[in-house]
Amino acid sequence: MSIFKKFAAVAEARSELEGDGPSAIATPIDAVRSATRGVIGGREVLLAGTNNYMGLTFEPDLIKASQDALARSGSGTTGSRMANGSYDGHAALERELAAAYDWPSAIVFSTGYQANLGTLSGLAADGDFLLVDADSHASIYDGCRLSRAQTVVFRHNDPENLDRRLSRLGDEASRAIVVVEGLYSMLGDQPPLEAFVEVKKKHGAWLIVDEAHSFGVFGEHGLGLSEQAGVLDDVDFVVGTFSKSLAGIGGFCVSRHRELELLRLASRPYIFTASPSPAVIAGTRVALRKIIDGRSLRKQLHRNIDRLYAGARSLGFELGSDTPGPVAAIILPDRATALAHWKGLLASGVYANLMIPPATPAGLNLLRISMSAAHTDEDVDQILDGLGAMVSHQAPPDLVQSAR
Amino acid sequence: MSTTRDRVDRAIGQGLKNALPELDRPDRDAVLTSDIGLDSVQIMNLVMEIEDELDISIPIDVLAEIRTLNQLAERLTRMIDENKT
Repeated sequence: MSIFKKFAAVAEARSELEGDGPSAIATPIDAVRSATRGVIGGREVLLAGTNNYMGLTFEPDLIKASQDALARSGSGTTGSRMANGSYDGHAALERELAAAYDWPSAIVFSTGYQANLGTLSGLAADGDFLLVDADSHASIYDGCRLSRAQTVVFRHNDPENLDRRLSRLGDEASRAIVVVEGLYSMLGDQPPLEAFVEVKKKHGAWLIVDEAHSFGVFGEHGLGLSEQAGVLDDVDFVVGTFSKSLAGIGGFCVSRHRELELLRLASRPYIFTASPSPAVIAGTRVALRKIIDGRSLRKQLHRNIDRLYAGARSLGFELGSDTPGPVAAIILPDRATALAHWKGLLASGVYANLMIPPATPAGLNLLRISMSAAHTDEDVDQILDGLGAMVSHQAPPDLVQSAR
Repeated sequence: MSTTRDRVDRAIGQGLKNALPELDRPDRDAVLTSDIGLDSVQIMNLVMEIEDELDISIPIDVLAEIRTLNQLAERLTRMIDENKT
């Protein structure tokens, strides 16, 4: 029997999505011209399906710092942080991340995925417990698998359900690590963080907040939902990524506990991989400063978010989150309708994301639109015009046809 | 006196009613995915209902081992009885 037979179902699902024009999955982007413009299928389009929330990818200072580091320190470190891959830039970025939170320790990882993998598998061992939200990102689930801890899932955004599960652990709750995200990237919804913090404190458990999609976006200094909710003093660890608001690639964990440093000796996804390249680190350091001081960028981002949410709702679309955030997930009844909307929006010159099961929670079919501080009022108008055209046409029949 | 297995079987019945009312008494020896056609989200919802009924938390590695409702019942019965001793 072929070892490839197991892929038959996903291969079929993919072929159902193929048709005329650019593919909705792994869409080929021919060129990227700015934080908000790219070329797809030979046409310039507005990019509204990225995670470039702060719009920093073409920031001249960031590019200059990356270019200088590339020329000064070379193209790659060719080794692990444990061996030859710890340069001055890595240590400086860790100091700057720790200082941003006013905490004693931060660790840089090579990707955001590895930040969760390395933090969870490093912190939790046999005899410990990981309690994770049901809608957690794959990197959280994979981090749990790599750890030897007993992993239990609680209902999405349900502190009462978490409370019951921690109660069942009794005294052992002091060895439990609770994991929530600051923003869930599929539906764009946020957790009731204050309530989770109360439950965590009641049981003496530990709390990790993954701010991958909320870092840069929320809080006076852009430190994430934990800062905005005023609960940073009760959060034990914040995990984040460089590949969204920070406009690079990599990840981090920062903690109020100095002992986080010990993770460097125990975390396999930290040890057994090459460290981020000097150019990426240099660019991320510039982006971090711009985010901490980025009040005007956040103001524009939230203006865009509020306009998009209000506009989409007034067109009658159902959104995945009641609270506006950088991701607006339009819930559509089935895959064919979702694909027709994706194609319709692209035809109007706007690239968004088609999100379908199993990547989505609750088996939902979504058109995911993400906002950037680099979007202008006119850009948001263009997205809403594109959505409005689909409402008035009720998804053109030819598009629905080609989606089947 | 009802045994742990009786209690688990009843909890699975109630969990099915709450999470998957459209399933009419499914074969408990059928494979949840390929035979009954459940996806991972549906299975997760069912498990959460069963957890509430039994007031237990089921570790995800336990779920990775089971294919049918009867296998789940057997595994949960063992888990509950082991915790008692």
